[in-house]
Amino acid sequence: MLRHVTNRILGQALRVPATPNPAAVGGAGLPRMYHERVVDHYNHPRNVGSFEKNEEDVGTGLVGAPACGDVMKLQIKVDNGTGKIVDAVFKTFGCGSAIASSSVATEWVKGKQMEEVLNIKNTEIAKHLSLPPVKLHCSMLAEDAIKAAVKDYEAKRSKANGKH
Amino acid sequence: MISNLIKHPLEADCSRTLILGSTKIYSRTMARLGQLARTVFRSLKHQSSFTFQLQSRRSSFYFLNTYFTKPWNYSPNSRISFTSRSYSSLTEESQSPSTIDYRSVLPEEKYHMLANSTIHDLIEKLEEYGDSVEIDGFDVDYGNEVLTLKLGNLGTYVINKQTPNRQIWMSSPLSGPSKFDWDQNAQAWIYRRTKGNLIKVLVVRLGSKCPSLDL
Repeated sequence: MLRHVTNRILGQALRVPATPNPAAVGGAGLPRMYHERVVDHYNHPRNVGSFEKNEEDVGTGLVGAPACGDVMKLQIKVDNGTGKIVDAVFKTFGCGSAIASSSVATEWVKGKQMEEVLNIKNTEIAKHLSLPPVKLHCSMLAEDAIKAAVKDYEAKRSKANGKH
Repeated sequence: MISNLIKHPLEADCSRTLILGSTKIYSRTMARLGQLARTVFRSLKHQSSFTFQLQSRRSSFYFLNTYFTKPWNYSPNSRISFTSRSYSSLTEESQSPSTIDYRSVLPEEKYHMLANSTIHDLIEKLEEYGDSVEIDGFDVDYGNEVLTLKLGNLGTYVINKQTPNRQIWMSSPLSGPSKFDWDQNAQAWIYRRTKGNLIKVLVVRLGSKCPSLDL
């Protein structure tokens, strides 16, 4: 038991991709550990920042509510001609898993077509980060943020096209 | 038996009926709650920011008509399809993932009462279920108002209250996360995106493990 614990701790420290099984960890009475990818995103978040909201090539997705603990703002910059997402930034208020989920989301949408990113599923994000059951809601929020950003951009476009 | 049907008309046709503390007193209280809620809805009908309330108002007319004409052999499918029609026409907002004003008409005390009773009933039934089936690593744990249901290799369910939104959140190893709102008409916790019923989802999931079990 002690060796198992030591190996697990050393494994994490040596950056060996150990994926702790939440059920097993919980059952053995060990503290639940964040997966190393979550810790990485938390310590070195990618793409933090914001774009000017009113720019015509920017779509903003704002989801969540402070009362329930998580707010995510995900912005995408889209190439008007090709419909490709050229850049993405995020700002998240919430737990480490929420921050990591939205950080992963910005990484994954970059360089993709808008229609493509709508297929990003919360299950993929959760699997990538090995989120425990109670944190699956964070990954769903990240998926929602992506969809909201795309929707906002498309609404802007149709408004702009309607005017001209 | 009759009080079961009052509580869960959706299960009327299902062979597996979830019996949740079916006492006469409870069903009378729920009926009174329903009346009170309808009064609240009527008095608040000018506040159009509450999409939850709008849905209930539209579908409540249908519900009232049909409930009193044929309460027992109510076909669950037609109910579901109607409410989904009314949902889709009125709830553009609730279907979209953008920022939603989640404040519900449901007063906090009422929410706690409903949510607590649902969760405690669930715990009782799950413990009984656990005693009767042979699932390796089965465990039901309730602490800090969070219900954790472990099914060994089949994964872990986490059910908890989300008071600010007046919701019950569930995390499933199969279907991922879901957020259930109290639907006054259905008298149940419904996940708006899939119209899934909290109790039904669990019944189906657990029932598939042990078909002979009557939950």
